[in-house]
Amino acid sequence: MEQELIIEVKNMTKNFGITKALKGVDVKFYRGQIRGLIGENGSGKSTITSILAGMQKATSGEAFYKGQPWDPDSMVEAQKAGISMVLQEANTIPNCTVAENIFAGRFDEFSRFGIVNMKKLNAAAQKMLDDFDIKHIKAADSINKYGFEDRKLIEIVRCVSKDTEVFVVDETTTALSHEGRKLIYDLIHKLKDNGKSVIFISHDMEEILEQCTDLTVLRDGEIIGHLNREEMDMPNAEQVIRYMMVGREIGDAYYREDYDTSHGDRVALELKNITLGDIKNFSLQVHEGEIIGFGGLSGCGMHEIGRLAFGLEKPETGEVLRNGKKIHSCNDAISAGIGYISKNRDTEALILEGSIQDNITLPSEKDLAKKVFIKPSSEKSLSDKEIESFRIKCNDGNQWVNTLSGGNKQKVSFAKWTAKGSDVIIMDCPTRGVDIGVKQFMYALIADMKKQGKAIILISEEMSELIGMADKIVVMKDFAISKEFTRSQDLSETDIIEYMI
Amino acid sequence: MFSKAFFKKHVYDIAAYAGLAATFVLFLIFSRENLSYNVGTVLQAASAYAILSLGAVFVYSMGFMDVSIGQQIGVYSILMILISNRMGGTIAGVVLGFVVILAIALVCGAFNGAVAVWLKLPSIVTSLFLMFFFTGAQLLLMESTGNNTISIEASIKPSSRTAYNWIILAAIVVVALAVTFLFNYTKLGKYTRAIGANEVVAVQSGINTTRWKVIAYMTFGVCVAIASFIMLMRTGTAGKGTGGGYAMDVMICLILGGMPLSGGMVSKVRSALIGTFTYVLLTNDLTTMGVELNYINFVKAIIFIIIILITCRKNNGVLPR
Repeated sequence: MEQELIIEVKNMTKNFGITKALKGVDVKFYRGQIRGLIGENGSGKSTITSILAGMQKATSGEAFYKGQPWDPDSMVEAQKAGISMVLQEANTIPNCTVAENIFAGRFDEFSRFGIVNMKKLNAAAQKMLDDFDIKHIKAADSINKYGFEDRKLIEIVRCVSKDTEVFVVDETTTALSHEGRKLIYDLIHKLKDNGKSVIFISHDMEEILEQCTDLTVLRDGEIIGHLNREEMDMPNAEQVIRYMMVGREIGDAYYREDYDTSHGDRVALELKNITLGDIKNFSLQVHEGEIIGFGGLSGCGMHEIGRLAFGLEKPETGEVLRNGKKIHSCNDAISAGIGYISKNRDTEALILEGSIQDNITLPSEKDLAKKVFIKPSSEKSLSDKEIESFRIKCNDGNQWVNTLSGGNKQKVSFAKWTAKGSDVIIMDCPTRGVDIGVKQFMYALIADMKKQGKAIILISEEMSELIGMADKIVVMKDFAISKEFTRSQDLSETDIIEYMI
Repeated sequence: MFSKAFFKKHVYDIAAYAGLAATFVLFLIFSRENLSYNVGTVLQAASAYAILSLGAVFVYSMGFMDVSIGQQIGVYSILMILISNRMGGTIAGVVLGFVVILAIALVCGAFNGAVAVWLKLPSIVTSLFLMFFFTGAQLLLMESTGNNTISIEASIKPSSRTAYNWIILAAIVVVALAVTFLFNYTKLGKYTRAIGANEVVAVQSGINTTRWKVIAYMTFGVCVAIASFIMLMRTGTAGKGTGGGYAMDVMICLILGGMPLSGGMVSKVRSALIGTFTYVLLTNDLTTMGVELNYINFVKAIIFIIIILITCRKNNGVLPR
């Protein structure tokens, strides 16, 4: 069957200063297609789509949309013409209602003499939500009532309409739980069936292999190759794609290879009969050299367990114990050798407008101070050591964190705790938005930490990561433990998902 | 080296240095034969601002501000005069007076830092409270004396102008060195900058933010006390209006020196000194250029808005929280 061309990109380049994000890319998108774009951070996949969606301009080259030259000046222009995009980051306006968010910039349609008819606005918004089968969100509510995931859904409702011809999903699913993902999957398949075109960007290989009809692999601003559905179904497809992405054999070692679940006898961290909000009477012991994985849907309470264990939330009853001593605050927790890698890397874990060195040394300043004096050279050597051992790609420690790629940023937030020498590390979605090369590095690091006798709590939304890394997987549902699995070769994702939903 | 990115990154610094250089050149041109005398005048005028701005670096680097310091200075000056005069105008009386105001300044600092945290208020609100409180205290104290102004009996100002200039220069240098040490080489400066850059990250990195906010405000308090003394040394008198406007002047000095009002990692001690001297030199230049006193404020307003326009054109802006 001959497919109809909808977008054609010809010899497109994009430079950011001396960095070449795109190096003369040619690519075609067709109707009735879910085209996956995959590549490591900085490979240029988001650059292509953001140019097509009007977020930025190409440095040179041309694009054609429905046969006409295409050079949108804004996202609004692109959206009106039928190209819509949802991004990874939250993009809703706080302190407004859901309906106001959905119709932001389109109030004219609902107003007479400058007065907006809120009733009409809310009704129209509710109808759109219902059409998407999103029943639990009410149009008249304040958007602040809804969590990250629901806001993402609201964004989708805002940007997808009957006029949408091309729908770009830019790593949106990374932050979503299974329900949210399913909603997006259903939507993109519906769009595909109706002869629209979908461009799907994701780090998650399995998701790409399951959902996409075609796949384009990018590396360093160039297109490395295309795969069709048949090629994607080949048994070794995953290795082939990884090889194309990284440009070298990354080896088989990805997750932990051993199935040795032994660990030290000493309890490194204990949560004892903790009650907070919907979490009732929760208990957990983590031993030295043990990796405990937490899995569940995003609202299941597993993220709260991480925050509780780090002293960020105060339990109503019960206590968090480290070596028999009670943890009252995260200050206590850090002094007792606990580290925490927040899932909200850019807002909670890193000072973006600060240097790599400042970020790495921040928890360790107490230890570096002699009386009160902190020697600059001791800070530098501590940070340089971590930069080297983590292979953080940067000029030097003075470079600002916001200039780093996602994977390197995440390395910095790991480095904070290895610099501090923490013995218990709580990781909340440690590989979110991180590319394969860095993921592999992180997994090796986590396995190494286990060998060193460090206790690890690994909270993750990726089942494969839990199966691949954890000694024990704790599945949570509705703020309670629904099942525990021990590490085993036979464990499959479906086994776990059964207890999540 | 002088690429676009370089200018973008150092926009604060460039604007600040350019401002200082411009005012300094004008200063040299218009002072002519009065140069050495004028240097002394500038130094005297700058002394209190410099010490206040240096102390304020800790508070501003957290992205906070304190609008109460003007009224605090007023009350401290009056108290020092009253106490030392009551003690018969002796040096011991002056010392006691200073110790008393230092203690009050520390308490106010702790109040500003701690109460804002406990009540979950922006710290500008607690400093507004202190501003009103000290306005009242200043008025009541002056009413109780029955005079519009009061003078200190003890002689605290050296009779030689040169000696006096050296003393205030020494005071500025000592405070500048102490602040530089605390800000660059101890936890205090590193933590206040981290709090300004991202308080959530600071908390999750093990910083007891309440404690360090209090310490930062108390350090500022010490500088307010010293500045009050330096001012009293210069004028020897105090009244209902003493100290008025100083909070805003300090803010202007810091902005002119390139301090972002949102604080954070880019905060630097030198902002205080560059800004203070730009501000004082500017006033001095305008006067020696023959601009009528009544118009000086208009000129300052225009120069201020120009500098703000240059430095605020960054994505994150520099407005206070």
